[in-house]
Amino acid sequence: MTTPTPRVIVPSAAAKGEIFQVKTIISHEMETGLRHDDQGNVIPRKIINKFVCRYNETVVFSVDVHEAISANPFFEFSLRATESGRLDFVWEEDGGAVYTLSHQFTVG
Amino acid sequence: MSLTRRDVLIAGSVGFSGVALFSPRSARANDEALDLVKQLTGRKATMSDRLHLIMPADFPTGYTVPMSLYIDSPMTEADHVRQMRVFAPRNPLIEVASFHFVPQRSLPRVSTRIRLAKPQHVVAVAEMNDGVLLMTTTWVRVATDGCA
Repeated sequence: MTTPTPRVIVPSAAAKGEIFQVKTIISHEMETGLRHDDQGNVIPRKIINKFVCRYNETVVFSVDVHEAISANPFFEFSLRATESGRLDFVWEEDGGAVYTLSHQFTVG
Repeated sequence: MSLTRRDVLIAGSVGFSGVALFSPRSARANDEALDLVKQLTGRKATMSDRLHLIMPADFPTGYTVPMSLYIDSPMTEADHVRQMRVFAPRNPLIEVASFHFVPQRSLPRVSTRIRLAKPQHVVAVAEMNDGVLLMTTTWVRVATDGCA
């Protein structure tokens, strides 16, 4: 498996109180644990099981992810611009690996 | 805990079999969905047109079916949605995702892509801050199994 690569599309600035859209995706096979290999052995489950978005350390949106989310999980959601600071995006994988991205955000 | 389709079918089959023969198709689907949610959450949900689950009625592949979910809610401290959950009752594993929202900070809407094993009524349930459960269903026909 290639290393999961997260990507985020989010504006760099917004007016106070404005709603802005966030698009996130991570390249990931999302192996469901339901498939078998050529020898008939179950391929163990390995999925992104949690996605969290923090805005200056406060969780503002999160997802508990199960097997039925497609490969290369994509989430599009909307946040309210409250103050300047940092947006953190965290993807948690089965087995404990964590993938993160951060984004500086200015409220004018 | 992982809920399998088998667990739910066994639990539900007794209650449905009598009613199902005489109900129109959509009413039957709603009853099944309501019962499913009762089993999964232990509480009774109400069908609501405030909750919108937007999916294509017909889609060629079950691997990546687009899904948008939103609810009409002011998202104030006094009146907001805590989480919205999505279930695919005819998938081998019926839980799809739970989306958590925060009053004043996030809008109660999300888009993603999901796997569907076969044509089915996809179920969405919203848990409001006062504990009320609202739900809706959408029929989606997929041509290929996205879980294989």
